[in-house]
Amino acid sequence: MSTVSRLSRRLGRVPFLDQRDRSLLLVLPGLFIFSAFMLFPVVYLVGISFTNAAPANLFAGEGAFSVLTFGEATFVGLRNYADVLADPEFWNSFGVTWLFVFTSVLMKISLSIGVALVVTNDRVRGRRLMRSFIILPMGLPAIFTITVWRGIFSSAEFGLVNQVLDLLGSGSVAWLSTRWPAFFAYNVTEMWLAYPFMVIITVSALQDVPEELHEAATVDGAGFIARFFHVTLPAIKRPVLFASILTAAASFQQFLIPFVFNQGGPARANELIVVYGYREALSFSQYGRGAAISLIAVVFIGAFMWINVKKGKLADGVGDE
Amino acid sequence: MNLLSSIGRKLVVDSKRILLTPVETARDVKYTIEGVRKGEIPPHEPLKTVGATIGALLLVMILLFPVYWIFQAALSGTGASLYSANGLSLFPDEPTLQPFVWVVGDLVVPAYRISLGVPFTELAVVFNTPQLTFLDASAHGVENSSGFKHFLWNSVTVAVPTVLIAMCLIVPASYALSRREFIFRRKILFLYVLLTQVGGGLGIALLIGLYAIYVQFGFNDNKLALSVYYAATAVPFNTWLLKTYMDGIPVSYEEAAVVDGAPPWRVVSEVILPLSTAGLATVFIFTFLTGWTEFVVAQTLLGTENYTLPVGLYALIGEYSIPWARFSAFALTFATPIMLVYLFAQRYIEGGLSFGGIEG
Repeated sequence: MSTVSRLSRRLGRVPFLDQRDRSLLLVLPGLFIFSAFMLFPVVYLVGISFTNAAPANLFAGEGAFSVLTFGEATFVGLRNYADVLADPEFWNSFGVTWLFVFTSVLMKISLSIGVALVVTNDRVRGRRLMRSFIILPMGLPAIFTITVWRGIFSSAEFGLVNQVLDLLGSGSVAWLSTRWPAFFAYNVTEMWLAYPFMVIITVSALQDVPEELHEAATVDGAGFIARFFHVTLPAIKRPVLFASILTAAASFQQFLIPFVFNQGGPARANELIVVYGYREALSFSQYGRGAAISLIAVVFIGAFMWINVKKGKLADGVGDE
Repeated sequence: MNLLSSIGRKLVVDSKRILLTPVETARDVKYTIEGVRKGEIPPHEPLKTVGATIGALLLVMILLFPVYWIFQAALSGTGASLYSANGLSLFPDEPTLQPFVWVVGDLVVPAYRISLGVPFTELAVVFNTPQLTFLDASAHGVENSSGFKHFLWNSVTVAVPTVLIAMCLIVPASYALSRREFIFRRKILFLYVLLTQVGGGLGIALLIGLYAIYVQFGFNDNKLALSVYYAATAVPFNTWLLKTYMDGIPVSYEEAAVVDGAPPWRVVSEVILPLSTAGLATVFIFTFLTGWTEFVVAQTLLGTENYTLPVGLYALIGEYSIPWARFSAFALTFATPIMLVYLFAQRYIEGGLSFGGIEG
């Protein structure tokens, strides 16, 4: 106890810190480590995006000091950004990314609303048990799910999708080595990865829809479809919208699926933007270009987050007191 | 112990419910049949219910089919064709655990020779411990077992330091953010909430910078450096989580302790920490799983010698010589414990997991 009080006395002598602000010292270590490992790389990334960094010059310097001078890479101004923005490959990746966000979010929302409607339906017995089974995939590590789905879409003998297609009498498809089938495979996998989260949110929203509304609509002669569009959907719109924003951000940042499936192939056609930046730097040794691409992606993710926090009122907890 | 007993109680309730489900269903069915016979219930009503239930069951089965498929693939000795000698089948013809033996490999505690010198004499007491063989892979027809144990050791040496470092950073910070008022408090909280939304995406975008820095400092391929990185990424979300949990502890408990004359550090160690066991357990599991399941950064930074389990799993799909059954067994051995821990935490450490983003 004496050491504790001695320590606190010494802390009291820190000149620039107000007595009551000393608790800041408890927060600083976490903030410091986080900044060192997350924010410093941001600054560094901005730095090398203005240079012609490549392994040959970036890692040439000696000692820790060369980190600050980016090895022997030379400053090239905005050339990387100009090159990237003039490159049709970038626009392809950019377009594919937005298309992926659009299609995958659409698929995720429709699947989850469908599943949620089924597992909350009054006629279905054993709903609770089904609900707890259906969210099982949530606990699986992403790398497991994605490698397994790669096996499912594999062209080898064990590929599950091709086996089912054979069963139905149509020929097999080379899923991972043709462009749009591969894109479709990404979407299905993303849908399976994300549906438990969406289902949980949708189910809890559905349970909050007052029963009286449904009864009133039924009395007025509304059928199942009319009730869905005029009673259920308006009532669950907000939570589902909120979940969609979050899951859209996840789709935009999707890296593992293209990377594990076929490295964003075939022939770099399906590289989502994060994969594109990563491969440009680490597979093709263009660190400067890769950094520029990644930063453009970060700007978009940042805008997404900003909208989330502002519109989704996620930070309400901070504001009230 | 409070946490453990509450978990135990919930487990009992849950298992009772599962055991009673068939009984209740049977009672339900009997009641309905009688109702139909007496003409109290119109006969098409139960048919609708049965149809809806079967439809829902089919949906659940289709959704979870990949999980079942990987299980049966692991149990079939060779591959996982749905076809077999006698046509289409959903079960492996000759179920075998051999792929799992390949994953685990030999489990042998080697013989040790322990000698203790007896003081003041030339004599020594020598113990020979016997060699303990729990599993001998070659006896099951498996040569060259997988690198699972090696990857496992790497994963342990990455995940354990991650948890230790992260806890040291998170616990004091969330206490301060929950209970104290100081400059920049609101700003830091806002930053943390903002950053919880970033997830892995920003991490991957920054990977180029991270990789370049690590190579220049010469600590790429260093497991400890990787742990520190994981701990850093875990800070915003988990601090926010634990802070929210601590907010739920009534201030009056602390006031009582202060009135009794407890100094601040005793209030923390004897009131706050014991009361936030569930929150601490959740944060513990989350940070552990960060280190245990992360793939991209580990794959970029680590060399072959230091591959963790996820990277080892990814390396397997590249090897076409590995039969699909063995891959499945490897993947399941990696994923099943994680899924159990996650779902267990989800269900039983409730409160710790209630995502407090909304109520703050």
